[in-house]
Amino acid sequence: MKIVADLDLCQGHGMCEDTAPEVFRVVESEDGSYDQVEIILHEPDSGLHEKVDSAVRYCPNRALKIQ
Amino acid sequence: MSDQPRPKTVSGAKPEIGHYDDFMEHAAHFLYRAYQECGELAEFDLFGAKHVLLSSADAQEAVYRASDDQVSAAAPYQYMVPVFGEGIQYGAPVETERQQVRFMSDGLRPKRMKTYAQVIAEEVEDYISDWGDEGEKEFHDTFKELVLRTSTHCLMGSEFRHRLNDEFGELFEQLEHAISPEAVIDYQSEAEAFSTRDEARARLQEMLMKSVNERLAANAAGNEPPTDMLQSFLDARYKDGEAMDHELIPGMIIWIMFGGFHTSSNTAAWACLELARHPQYQREVIEEVDKVYGNGEDLSFAALRELPITEGFVMETLRLHPPLLTLMRQVVNQPFEYKGNVFEVGTNLVISPYVSHRLPEHFPDPERFDPHRPQPDHLFALIPFGGGRRKCVGNAFAFLQVKSILTALLSRYELSLVDAPESYREVMPSLILRPSSPCNLRYTRRK
Ligand code: HEM
Ligand code: SF4
Repeated sequence: MKIVADLDLCQGHGMCEDTAPEVFRVVESEDGSYDQVEIILHEPDSGLHEKVDSAVRYCPNRALKIQ
Repeated sequence: MSDQPRPKTVSGAKPEIGHYDDFMEHAAHFLYRAYQECGELAEFDLFGAKHVLLSSADAQEAVYRASDDQVSAAAPYQYMVPVFGEGIQYGAPVETERQQVRFMSDGLRPKRMKTYAQVIAEEVEDYISDWGDEGEKEFHDTFKELVLRTSTHCLMGSEFRHRLNDEFGELFEQLEHAISPEAVIDYQSEAEAFSTRDEARARLQEMLMKSVNERLAANAAGNEPPTDMLQSFLDARYKDGEAMDHELIPGMIIWIMFGGFHTSSNTAAWACLELARHPQYQREVIEEVDKVYGNGEDLSFAALRELPITEGFVMETLRLHPPLLTLMRQVVNQPFEYKGNVFEVGTNLVISPYVSHRLPEHFPDPERFDPHRPQPDHLFALIPFGGGRRKCVGNAFAFLQVKSILTALLSRYELSLVDAPESYREVMPSLILRPSSPCNLRYTRRK
């Protein structure tokens, strides 16, 4: 499993971090606009896959993808 | 001549005014005709200003992914500056404006939604408590009144909400009258609507500043700050650590109200109209609502839950009736290229959810209302809230409001049409798509 984020779509609402905090963190952006997701674990082990799947599914902006 | 591709031009331009009459008459229908005549790229002219409608998910994506220094939102929307004020939104530098939108999103975080859900539930249940066993209502105006209550309550807090009188709604309406196709052409003209706009804006500043000052005093007295947007704006900080100038907060409130008020109330009205038109889908939504309410949950909790059938129904409503459908960007700094077409600096790029949502490659048999349609795979095909970095900041809040209204209504009543089905039409007296008036529906207590 490899996760990618499309930052043009992310508006930092943080649903992903709530769902899988081991994998996603929401950080302030440099320009002071929306916060942005940061993937802290790009290739999580299988124990986390279910959580990551839900995070991807529930991102309201469909900004996350599993490759 | 080079063989560079060029968009086709929409028919019917008149000397000097171009397509202005047709655009004014009904922007949605004009833009749909533009697409039908010209396809993916359709050029038209409003008083000499060149506009290109882009109608494909790929073209929409290209515009939404372009940066602010390629396509500017501020340039075509300058007519909003007298409405919100200098220093706010498009009256501020883009770096400031982007941070102000972040302030809004801070005030709309998932954690805060629970509080808003409670406020909305209370307002909705109170509003319909005296509806009795059956009756008829004009649903457009009904929801306007209701959403004015829910949104002022969540934005400005309960003191402001309970002082709310007709004046606030009327002033707001005067601001809206100035948002018209005429304004798009010349928002500084001598027209009466524009002087009324400026007077209404000044009076709103006074009313809202009163609440700002009261809140500052309450905070200084050590009261627990409430969860509402006003407090978020007071707590917000730019990246240099500065707070907002308090005089700008009324403009922020007006801005967020403009984004959320008619869009949400119209969506609720359209959704009820579609429920009444389609009894079989209404039954499905009612079944889902009963499942949640049947468990003894209260409305605020129910509306926060995932309700896939209800949400699908609202999404299909937004597909066919997107309240905002003339989304504009202007090419700035250097020409913008799409598939070999070159759009010069100054060209207005138009994206219309009304048209995109009728593209047969994503929505077969597009005019048919079908809440079971699968979501298109393309991320930029279904765009009632826009897309990219400027996608609607209030979309979760909008869903919360509309779901609360539908859930409360359908747990008590069934809805049906009052007038002949064909008498309910879509009209555009302003730049917002709404059901024709009167939008009368009958509600009957469920057995
Ligand atoms: C069904 C209801 C709604 C619809 C259909 C809707 C639609 C939209 C669309 C299409 C845009 C993008 C405009 C563009 O690209 O030029 C937008 C932006 C915006 N909306 Fe909404 N909206 C709704 C509800 C709300 C609510 C409830 C709020 C506030 C709580 C809100 C606040 C805003 C704001 C502030 C923006 C500007 C965002 C930015 O510039 O980044 N909207 N909305
Ligand atoms: S849920 Fe989606 S939009 Fe929100 S922070 Fe995560 S990736 Fe970004």
